Amino acid sequence: MERSIIHLNIADFAVAVERLIDHRLINRPILIVPGKAYRSAVYDMSDEAYRSGIRKGMLLGRAMQLCRDAAVITPHPDRYDRAMQSLLKQVLPYSPLIESGHGDGHLFMDITGTHRLLGPPMDVAWRLHRQIKNDLGLNPIWSVAPNKLMAKVASRLVKPAGEYIVGSGDESDVLAPLPLCLVPGIEKNDLIRLNEFNLTHVFQVTALSLAQLQLPFGKRAPFIYETMRGIDPSPVLPLGQHPPVIRVEHEFSQDTNDAPILESHLYRLVEQTGQCLRKRRLAARRIGLFLSYTDGKRCIRQAWARPATANDLDLFEVAGRALSAAWKRRVRIRHMGLVCDRLVFPPAQMALFENDRQHSEKRDGIVSAMDAIRHRFGPGSIHMGRSLAA
Amino acid sequence: MDHTHSHTPKPPCRLQVGTSGYSYTEWIDAGFYPPGTRTGNMLACYAETFNTTELNYTWYQMPRSRAIERMRRKVPANFTFAAKLTRTLTHEIDTNTWRMQVAQYRDGIAPLVQSRQLAAILLQFPKSFPRTMQNRKYLALLLDELAGLPAAVEFRHASWATDRVFAELERRKITLVAVDEPNLPGLFPCLDVVTSPNLFYIRFHGRNTKGWRCGNMQKQFDYHYNDAELREWSDVYIKTMADNARSGIIFFNNHVRAQAPDNAVHLTRILTEQGLI
Repeated sequence: MERSIIHLNIADFAVAVERLIDHRLINRPILIVPGKAYRSAVYDMSDEAYRSGIRKGMLLGRAMQLCRDAAVITPHPDRYDRAMQSLLKQVLPYSPLIESGHGDGHLFMDITGTHRLLGPPMDVAWRLHRQIKNDLGLNPIWSVAPNKLMAKVASRLVKPAGEYIVGSGDESDVLAPLPLCLVPGIEKNDLIRLNEFNLTHVFQVTALSLAQLQLPFGKRAPFIYETMRGIDPSPVLPLGQHPPVIRVEHEFSQDTNDAPILESHLYRLVEQTGQCLRKRRLAARRIGLFLSYTDGKRCIRQAWARPATANDLDLFEVAGRALSAAWKRRVRIRHMGLVCDRLVFPPAQMALFENDRQHSEKRDGIVSAMDAIRHRFGPGSIHMGRSLAA
Repeated sequence: MDHTHSHTPKPPCRLQVGTSGYSYTEWIDAGFYPPGTRTGNMLACYAETFNTTELNYTWYQMPRSRAIERMRRKVPANFTFAAKLTRTLTHEIDTNTWRMQVAQYRDGIAPLVQSRQLAAILLQFPKSFPRTMQNRKYLALLLDELAGLPAAVEFRHASWATDRVFAELERRKITLVAVDEPNLPGLFPCLDVVTSPNLFYIRFHGRNTKGWRCGNMQKQFDYHYNDAELREWSDVYIKTMADNARSGIIFFNNHVRAQAPDNAVHLTRILTEQGLI
């Protein structure tokens, strides 16, 4: 069945919410920055500030040089969460399939099959837009498309305000003239690789067959092949039913590039993740590591656990691989985050060889013993020695 | 030299009947489109039955020339389109940017103008657009900006039903859209006034009095015209209007459960019987 997906996107959400509260900020360049120190990184900015050359993650000092009259505001995540909740209240009567971002003013709605009840999808989207504008004072971009990918592209094309309707069957034609950087899911490394072949626009990539794409991109080729043609079968998940993810993070009190300190903090994060996984009787197949450097730049790398595991010692090995891949600069690190996803029930298959089995049982035994002690004496009662440097 | 004037008979009025919009998935369930028809193929399928349609989506978003060109290629060369003017020029008017938007609109529908498939631009003004000095000025300026395009104006507010308005439209050769809608106080009346010798334009919205103001299109346009109602239109109004214009387009907007294409086919049959098509 053909799907009808609506994407609502309030551009510069944090700025839009702040402007609702303080009308003096309307039409002024605004920077949302945690802390007002010179080295603080820009979290969000208004369109006026963007046009001055300011970008997310830029140092406040540099941003102020580019736009001297910008108003600097500390982020208020509670306000953004409340605004997001109000937004959800507006859209909930239209569909149970609503997938929203984390306080970022984005949401997808699947209204497939509601035609007879609610009318044409574009009319639903327009009514929602009008309702949100009247009731909340926010002006979302709206788009209607046959899938999430095209709905997101459409929103990007009209940003910061407007609407875009992508008809079914028009996906390739809409995407063809676009620069590759506008296509969601195409990451920086993909862009670099594609640029090496002088491929800068979608129509150039669609001229290549899947076999040709497989040479430089390997397993990622089918994803790129489908994305360039506007194919995206991913469903809009029901509200509150995001795929289970465990996310932990640490902000260093002093930025550091000291390896033992980083590793000890990484182990602490792994311990927290492992405990959470074991409590939920799940195991992680993938670990992602986020590093934020002092200069505001971020790096995200991931590593796979094969087989899926919830054991701290195994998880640390996987996280260590992700850290090695992500930590390539000499600049000090301010923030480290760990995300475990692709959560599955722990594999029942035992190791084939006796030695492996004993090794695995020994590791599980240590972790179980530590869990038992923590359960009895509190979470901070026992730590691995390698985490003490933290 | 012989200067005898030979009397040339008036060419017959070219009548086209269609529906307001064609992309409705519920029309598959209702049997108008074959099962499994994809929305991308609906226009080609629609063109097998009708030779004109009204583009509703241009009301929701500014038309884009590439999309219009792609759409145009799906239909035969004699197929025509009436394109609704974007809502930001009729319902949500921004006094600062409207001229720029007219320019964008002109660019968007250019492929239809170039291929001579643009039957009309429909300026549909809402009930909240009464005949005030400010609105009269805006309409005059808007029509100036749309000069050269076959504009047709549909009013919903009864205050526009005056001879002075009709005279001005006649002077400008702008079509006044005749409407069939519920007989409710304050709504523009059903008239057969022809203000342009080039085109008359009729829209059948249905006569669902209960659902008209409920805010839900599915109720507002849920109506099926019976044979007597359509014959009344054909005998009383369409004949007269066809005598006063070179062409006419008739659209059914009662799209719910594919009642619009059903009525459009029925009216076409009646008009054919009467020799009007």
